[in-house]
Amino acid sequence: MAGLSMASSLLPLSSSLSIASRGSSFSCPGSLSFPTPSPASKSQQRGALTIRCVRVGGVEIPNNKRVEFSLRYIHGIGRVRARQILCDLSLENKVTKDLSDEELISLRDEVSKYMIEGDLKRFNRLAIERLKEIRCYRGIRHEMGLPCRGQRTKNNCRTLKGKKVSVAGKKKASR
Amino acid sequence: MPRRSLWKGSFLDAFLFRMKKNREQIDSRKIWSRRSSISPEFVDCSVLIYNGKTPVRCKITDGKVGHKFGEFAFTRSSKTNRVKGRKGINPV
Repeated sequence: MAGLSMASSLLPLSSSLSIASRGSSFSCPGSLSFPTPSPASKSQQRGALTIRCVRVGGVEIPNNKRVEFSLRYIHGIGRVRARQILCDLSLENKVTKDLSDEELISLRDEVSKYMIEGDLKRFNRLAIERLKEIRCYRGIRHEMGLPCRGQRTKNNCRTLKGKKVSVAGKKKASR
Repeated sequence: MPRRSLWKGSFLDAFLFRMKKNREQIDSRKIWSRRSSISPEFVDCSVLIYNGKTPVRCKITDGKVGHKFGEFAFTRSSKTNRVKGRKGINPV
């Protein structure tokens, strides 16, 4: 498969081939996914069919932004960590589509060191589930959908309570 | 989730600290000190934690170690109409 990817990267002429490679990279995000260099000339030829994204850590990150910023599209990588990754690799902060294959591979290795995306989400969910299971205060607050860090609930805390429903009881009665 | 600095150790009221050595003493005993944290010695005991009105029975399991006693006795009574509203929402 590595050979195939090399072939596709060497020959980015036929767009149909590169699209096929993109589809296969969807099916196996864990393995070495295909770097898809999309030269500007190709994007001009076929607007809709070009591949706009590079896959890092199982997510697509935008091509037309600098690496520091496009890395932040991954859940679990923010400002600090994106910076840190660039520093660790001593990578130049260039636009993502200009990255070479080796740089992309090293970037993927570096990103996979952190807990990102599904793993991170599962980790957080399990932590909350544990709180619910032992029936402690925070767990109960999570279940009730109210803030669990002692914020006031007389007003505000709309993030958890959801959108305002003004006098909901009255409306129901009129119906 | 240790919030307290480690060299201090976890906080325990003195009478609970004395009970650390003989575990049987704490079994089904009323506890007013909600601020004390549950230490691993108390696992598998059942205690009565005061919630401001009545003592609430609570069995201490492994997962509860490191939390405070007060976290397991709710001090507020839940509103009844809130439950009604939930029931109304569910069938719709």
